[in-house]
Amino acid sequence: METRVRIPAPLRTLTGGKEEILAAGGTLGELIEDMEKNHPGIRDRLLDEKGVRRFVNIYVGEEDTRFLGGLKATVKAGDEVTIVPAIAGGR
Amino acid sequence: MSDLATKRVLLVGVGGLGAPAAIVLARAGVGTIGIADADAVELSNLHRQILFEDADVGSPKVDAARDAIPRWAGDARPFVVVHRTRLLPDNARQIVREYDLVVEGSDNFATKFMTADACALERVAVVHGSAVRWHGTAFAVAATGGPCYRCLFEDIPHEHAPSCAEAGVMGPVVGIVAALQADLALRLLAGEPVAGDLVTFDGKTDVHRRHRVARRDDCPLCGTARIQTPIRTVDAARYAAPSCDVSA
Repeated sequence: METRVRIPAPLRTLTGGKEEILAAGGTLGELIEDMEKNHPGIRDRLLDEKGVRRFVNIYVGEEDTRFLGGLKATVKAGDEVTIVPAIAGGR
Repeated sequence: MSDLATKRVLLVGVGGLGAPAAIVLARAGVGTIGIADADAVELSNLHRQILFEDADVGSPKVDAARDAIPRWAGDARPFVVVHRTRLLPDNARQIVREYDLVVEGSDNFATKFMTADACALERVAVVHGSAVRWHGTAFAVAATGGPCYRCLFEDIPHEHAPSCAEAGVMGPVVGIVAALQADLALRLLAGEPVAGDLVTFDGKTDVHRRHRVARRDDCPLCGTARIQTPIRTVDAARYAAPSCDVSA
């Protein structure tokens, strides 16, 4: 079962420039582990020892995974996962 | 939107986000536009800070904007208020409390979090905007409180910040984010239920996405749970600048 994951521009250095990747897993945590296999370094950009980094938001569809159980959030085939990091800038 | 003429909107930063947003808000008929900025116009700003012209290079941005906004506003004739300073811990609350809404277009996390704190404490609506390279976001927060910027991003990133002010911006991307900010600001002022909307824009694919941000019960700024360190003041120590990760 694979889920589409949308990669924001600042993290595409880790996905060879790809805007969308496919990853397998029944939970967000499993999905990120699978992403790490193909795109080493991405886990560290998303997670710290406590879970999803506090300045990173991950959505399943429009829903914030913080409120869906965090790394235990269920993901299903056909779901679209979107990563939104905090950014500064805009001068 | 005729009652816009009675509304007061503050631009925190009149750069790549604040300058285009100023034009939209002025033309829409916002009655008072405040500008807080301490920088001068630079030649390298002009491609995206479209409020300004070549002759403005070297002038304080607040002066150039004060002169330019009425030119762009046509018949709307907004009143322009100049704050010749950055928003700082010791002036943030006093400045934002004079306004109905703040458009935050600063280029650093410290100012973003400080603006969020000041606006929440003073019960002022705020629309945050950011753009780095090809990625942009806009986020609307109601005057009544959360979900707020700290519900979304919790605290200033001190490690692995995915990007930073020095990483550079693409003119069209900041222009689009500025327009999104102005749109969210006008809709908040009109009473539409856009508070909690996070809109992202990807300049590589030209795709917009909207997410709904929920209030965190344990948010130190707007949460309702009893926590040890709620934010009740704008304290300089809270906004120590993180190191900049330009490799992101």
